Amino acid sequence: MSATSGALAGTRVLEISALAGAVCGRVLADLGAEVIKLEPEGGEDFRRSLPLVPTALGEESAAWLAYNHGKRSVTLDPLADEAGFAALCAGADILVTDWERLDLDTMDRLASVARRANPALVWCEILPFGRGGPYERYAATDTVLQALGGHLYLNGDVDRPPVRISLPVGAIQGGVEAASAALMAHWHALKTGEGQRVDVSVQACIVWTLLNSTMAWQILGLNEMRGGAIRKERANRFFTRLVWETQDGYVFFGPVGGGGGSARIKSYEALIAWMAEDGITDPILTRHDWNGDGQFFIPQEDYDAVTAVIMGFIASKTTDELMARSVRERILLAPISSVAGVFDNPQFRARGYFRPLDDPDRGLKLDLPARWANLSATPLATLRPAPRPGADTAAVLTSLSQGSPA
Amino acid sequence: MTDALTQVTTEASGLFAGLKVADFTWAAAGPIVTKQLADNGATVIKVESFKHPDSIRLGGPFIDDKPGINRSGFFADFHSSKLGISVDMSNPAAIEIIRPLIEWADVVAESFRPGVMKKWGLDYASLKAINPRIVMLSSSLYGSEGPWARHPGYGAQGQALAGGHGMTGWPDRPPAMPKGAYSDSVSPRYALSALVAALIHREKTGEGQHVELSQIEATAQLLAPELLAYQVTGAEITRQGDAKAGSLLHGVFPCKGEERWIALEAVTEAQADALRAILGLETLDSAAVAEATATRDAFALMAQCRAAGVPAGVANKASDLLEDEVLNAHGHFWPLDHAEMGRLKYNGPAYRFEKTPSALRFASPRLGEHTEAVMTRVLGFGAEDIARFKQEGLLQ
Repeated sequence: MSATSGALAGTRVLEISALAGAVCGRVLADLGAEVIKLEPEGGEDFRRSLPLVPTALGEESAAWLAYNHGKRSVTLDPLADEAGFAALCAGADILVTDWERLDLDTMDRLASVARRANPALVWCEILPFGRGGPYERYAATDTVLQALGGHLYLNGDVDRPPVRISLPVGAIQGGVEAASAALMAHWHALKTGEGQRVDVSVQACIVWTLLNSTMAWQILGLNEMRGGAIRKERANRFFTRLVWETQDGYVFFGPVGGGGGSARIKSYEALIAWMAEDGITDPILTRHDWNGDGQFFIPQEDYDAVTAVIMGFIASKTTDELMARSVRERILLAPISSVAGVFDNPQFRARGYFRPLDDPDRGLKLDLPARWANLSATPLATLRPAPRPGADTAAVLTSLSQGSPA
Repeated sequence: MTDALTQVTTEASGLFAGLKVADFTWAAAGPIVTKQLADNGATVIKVESFKHPDSIRLGGPFIDDKPGINRSGFFADFHSSKLGISVDMSNPAAIEIIRPLIEWADVVAESFRPGVMKKWGLDYASLKAINPRIVMLSSSLYGSEGPWARHPGYGAQGQALAGGHGMTGWPDRPPAMPKGAYSDSVSPRYALSALVAALIHREKTGEGQHVELSQIEATAQLLAPELLAYQVTGAEITRQGDAKAGSLLHGVFPCKGEERWIALEAVTEAQADALRAILGLETLDSAAVAEATATRDAFALMAQCRAAGVPAGVANKASDLLEDEVLNAHGHFWPLDHAEMGRLKYNGPAYRFEKTPSALRFASPRLGEHTEAVMTRVLGFGAEDIARFKQEGLLQ
């Protein structure tokens, strides 16, 4: 079972998780680790989180299924069966847990058992604000973390309140951050035999999604403002349109005024050549050097005027039509994909990003977005179904009592 | 005071002390990965072409609002603890300098458009011929192959294609763009995980390899549940504005002051009761909540909610983050001194190691700042070699 050909072949991970810890385990399992979930009788609560989907086993959480396939499940209450838990930890390399599953006191209690059993163990905690500090025990949801991390303020339309990204991006990004941090600590343990606690702050993960906002404040005294389809790009002082309606959807496109660069200039030239073929030759299109050095001094009404002309052109095309020619002619335009758009995207499909998962027990045949990296010597793991609660209890505990890896 | 090169080599601490990285990455997604290596003790040598320096050196914010190659805060934040050298990479003779760098390195990282490294004779097959144990990381927006591999784009295009953009905003309006070239912040976490796994594999087996990653593929991992649900139910989940399934109250409400907002959420009945009591309301109707919060101080209201166990978060602005008591308690921001930019606070990691603390050792390199030091003290060139390279136009 542990004999994978992945980069992390032979690495064993224990997971006591809700969402964030499961995402961490997902990344490690994809890289070839054996990931064992510790669940209560009947399975962890996150198996029933929203949105639910119908399967042959009943209603199950889409997020749970997406992030837990290919793992093993052991029914074990680590507080009640301290010896069993210690034995599992003795044979593990990394344990990951998160705040939606365990409170801090339980984490502390379990960490002392786990680390006594295995001094080389990496004990990885994903917490809203990390360890220590004034909010250590503060109840936080993903939306609250998107707000406190500074990202929510920057999203949404100016005439309505700011909005979150409608995905639990804090927990997911925190989970992936934890995977990378746990592996760094495991690298250290392999070299020195020294395990340690690693804690991840979801708030800090969100801060990292801002990219240049904290520098913009320090240097320019500028707090950027959210914008919807139209915004001040890259700390510009004028507004430009970035979201354009096509015949059947939306594309992202910054044709004018978005900062220098030859890619922008060539992209704009290709666009107006195409518009000319369609008979659109309004003089506003060439009135200014829209992406050159003078772009910062062009009046707002001219930006608005050129936008109106381009808008008419884009609205006359389908997204596929726009993309086919844009890819050919290097026009800096991308589809704003819906879920189906991601699923059907030709680039993803051509690269084999989606991998099949056949799960006969659940009556599911799925294509999952699984191959997120290509490792030439150690490819990511082949997909296997998610475990039923406790599916591997007997196998794992038996192998422990026999003193051999599962 | 010791110089940067001594700091990163003989005085290095951190779990990657001794790890050697030849860093050809540029823009954001690549440099954020190698920053994690540098801030944890690795010797990271960033190679720039002085004819085409890293493009985010040309992206603001600039110190004093005055553009300049060594004046971008955007660039600075992703380049703490790194050494910088600049070479004319378009000159075929550059391989004379780069070859010993590849022999020296454990890791080569790059984030160019597919084809650039091959053009320089630095694709994985060539690197492997020079250094069989090398681990190479290639991170590009659309991936190295496929019909869109060479389509131009940045993180904003990446997040649009990968679905994050469509999931942001109001369902009755066009999607609102999430701030920050979002794929540039998702993909580094995946890239770093794969890279460290490859290093662990090498540690155990001696085998190097090529890790290739598409930033849009990493970013679309965020939608894995929605992609699964779509196949099972046939229905597409989309952006939800201020709604969130399963919460009794969920939204962002105005507070006292200009553009002051607080996110409030009640998941349990107890939280809903507590919030009603705090706001003095009978119901949690959104309009009534907004009216009640509008006269309140956002931070005071958050503290009150926190004490009562109600999830609440001020929509922090960048200026708030720099003053944030939690981030500061963790030492998240590192003040570093730069010869042209002065002292700025750089973002430190979102993770913390109990035994092997990370450290942002010094500010971002000026273009070519460490060329001579690296040439002589790392790569073993003499003064006469450097003079010749300058004469040949390989070095400035």
